[in-house]
Amino acid sequence: MSENVATLKPLKTWSHLAKNRRRPSEYEIVSTNLLWNMSENTPPEAGQGLAMDEWHHKYRYGSPLTHSDWDGFRDPDSLVYRTYNIIQDGQETYVENLCDEYSSLEHDAGLAPEWLEALEAFYTPARYPLNICMMNAGYGAAFARSSTIVNTWVYQAADSLRHLSRLAYRTAELKKNHPSRRFGDSEREVWEHSPAWQGFRELFEKSLVAYDVGEHFVAFNLVAKVAFDETLVAEFARCARIAGDDLAALISDSHMRDVERSRRWSRALVEYCVEDDPANKDVINGWLEKWVPLAERSVSELLLILPGADATAANARARKFRNDLGLDR
Amino acid sequence: MALLERSEWYDYTRMTNWTPKFVSEEEVFPAMHSGMADVPLSVFDSYDEPYKISYREYVDVQRQKDAGAYSVKAALERADMYNRASPGWISAAKLHYGGVPVVEYHASLMESRFVRFAKAPGMRNMGCFGAMDENRHAQIQLAFPHEYIDKDRQFDWATQGYRTQNWGILAARNLSDDMMMTRDVVQTAIMLNFAFETGFTNLQFIGLSADAANAGDYSFAKMIQSVQSDEARHAQLGTPLLKLMMENGHEAEAQRMVDISFWRTWRLFAVLSGIPMDYYVPLEHRENSWKEFMEEWIIEQFERNLRDLGLQRPWYWDYFLEDLSEEHHGQHIGTYSWRPTLWWNPTAGVSKNEREWLEEKYPGWNDTFGKAWDVVIDNMANGRMEQTVPGTLPVICKVSNLPVVGIPFKTAKIEQITYKGENIQFGSIVDKWIFEQDPERYCRTQTIVDRFLAGKVQPADLGGALQYMGLGVVTDPADDSMGYSWVDEYRPAAAE
Repeated sequence: MSENVATLKPLKTWSHLAKNRRRPSEYEIVSTNLLWNMSENTPPEAGQGLAMDEWHHKYRYGSPLTHSDWDGFRDPDSLVYRTYNIIQDGQETYVENLCDEYSSLEHDAGLAPEWLEALEAFYTPARYPLNICMMNAGYGAAFARSSTIVNTWVYQAADSLRHLSRLAYRTAELKKNHPSRRFGDSEREVWEHSPAWQGFRELFEKSLVAYDVGEHFVAFNLVAKVAFDETLVAEFARCARIAGDDLAALISDSHMRDVERSRRWSRALVEYCVEDDPANKDVINGWLEKWVPLAERSVSELLLILPGADATAANARARKFRNDLGLDR
Repeated sequence: MALLERSEWYDYTRMTNWTPKFVSEEEVFPAMHSGMADVPLSVFDSYDEPYKISYREYVDVQRQKDAGAYSVKAALERADMYNRASPGWISAAKLHYGGVPVVEYHASLMESRFVRFAKAPGMRNMGCFGAMDENRHAQIQLAFPHEYIDKDRQFDWATQGYRTQNWGILAARNLSDDMMMTRDVVQTAIMLNFAFETGFTNLQFIGLSADAANAGDYSFAKMIQSVQSDEARHAQLGTPLLKLMMENGHEAEAQRMVDISFWRTWRLFAVLSGIPMDYYVPLEHRENSWKEFMEEWIIEQFERNLRDLGLQRPWYWDYFLEDLSEEHHGQHIGTYSWRPTLWWNPTAGVSKNEREWLEEKYPGWNDTFGKAWDVVIDNMANGRMEQTVPGTLPVICKVSNLPVVGIPFKTAKIEQITYKGENIQFGSIVDKWIFEQDPERYCRTQTIVDRFLAGKVQPADLGGALQYMGLGVVTDPADDSMGYSWVDEYRPAAAE
């Protein structure tokens, strides 16, 4: 078997990383260049021309948000599975200890009736939009254009499940301590019928079906999720402190670290796209024009039922995040 | 009051279905993604995942698992496994790493579709852990072979393989695109989680793990067991779905998905696991034969699973039982003969001692497959190397994308039909049946031979074909892992 086409040199790392002339990080070794469905030129080996293939053409390859080298994107946190679990196990150990400690101090029994009402109307129903946060991140992962983008979505989906799970835990705890209230029983009704929630319900339902992957990223990660986090995490934590619910505030602070990570990679992706083609900025601004008004209305309507909340400040923070990226609104 | 038990709050994590108002239910859960369109959303609330875990438990357990697996890796790097292991074991490891990690990565995309499109809230949550698991499996199975890249360039296939048009890669991609990437989440979960994962991954992950430990590659053994402990959890997310299908008039669809998936998976694993277990792993380290593993781990368990769920054995069961002693032997001769096209240096595994073992495990082997090897060995022993690589194109099955093989001088399993004026060939009656279930799904597949005949491979000769398949690009064309030293005992001088 000696008719070799060529004799290739030994390697120090994967060939696609060798050109970098430096020792690759663990992140690069395990995260880069993994998709086999990169473009129109790599159709599925089976199912070509069927509905799923068409979906990829229409919503992935056909998106107005473009890049000449999707594989080149890097997560600014260089997060890998192994480190994700180390970080989140640490956070969950901390939050679990908080719950244990506050439970032994009979924290829930001491909450004021007005605040309990707010928790019932504002906090525990959030498991519905949190489930949609996870669904949306799942969509991002399933249809992203590079493995490095897929991974950021996968970890973000897990973060949403984290938040949803802690909320479920707190729902059961509040129900146990306040059996005469409707914790655990009323959330779906509130989500589907309370006027304060209908803006968010509209925003979240519509974000679910923004199937173009570029628009989906903008509508959800730059607008809907930012609105949600400023409302249900940041503003909630601030008001909880005022109401004496330190436990809720501390738990929210911990979730805020996940929120900040989502914003770091979202920011990096916007910058990566705009750097490659300045026209991408107009594309993103176009989508913001469509989505931001609904998001701001949702925040204003929902924060009406949270005692002490400042919707203007929440919306201003959301805008600042986007403005800092050089975006219009 | 201390911490709550998981059971006290778990249900709130999966009471998350609601009635969409501002967009339609069909827009949120399109039939092409979500499946079972005739069954109301509320029915899916009863989906009950058998293996429950909370997020808090997940990150704790998984952190510990990784700490264990990666610490073994660190310790064993110092032990220099690569230079101590037998060439046969290295063949098995390279075949595995070139074929498996990137498929696992795409399984995380599949699980992410469950997160988005499953109508069952419990399945969305389990899909989220599943996506994390598969992300892990890709990463850990890239971190480990990367350690060997400076010793052997063939490990580069772990990341480069699926960006080539290598025939083996095309076969694995075809199966994955068919069963994992292009169907609605219900069909996908039946095919992948139920049939593929509960049915087959034990083979590669338990079977090969035992062989790896015996061969001294403890880091592989430890890593792969750790991977399988995740599979054992998320594989179960298809089972409650099967129950819902049976209760809601989708029995026939469920059975068809199982029948298609079981066969496709069997045929691919015959190459991926069957060949290494019976030919590459050094004789003294073999735990069981491939057939014995199949009988113990697959046939009994899978049959019981099917029965418990009210499903039938696939209609081709008797044909499959015969195939157990044939397919991988045929594929081994095929892959070994076409060795320049592989991403790993294959091991022949047919020394005199090994042939005795093969005859014992597969009575009649010497009179069938052995005869084909006699010809190869005779040519090698007498220096006619050019005659040990085929000069003609193989016949490739349109569904499996594997070469059509059979018992040498006895049965060729080739089947054919004409579809839209094209003559289409298959490696078995089952592959033909699969094609007939949904011809439009498979008819546009271009096998490696279709591509060659369509002029996509230029120049249209061996060199061009190798280049097209990534040989001479990612790595040099492959060759016998032992440099043919095993032939010595057959050379005329040795016989005298």
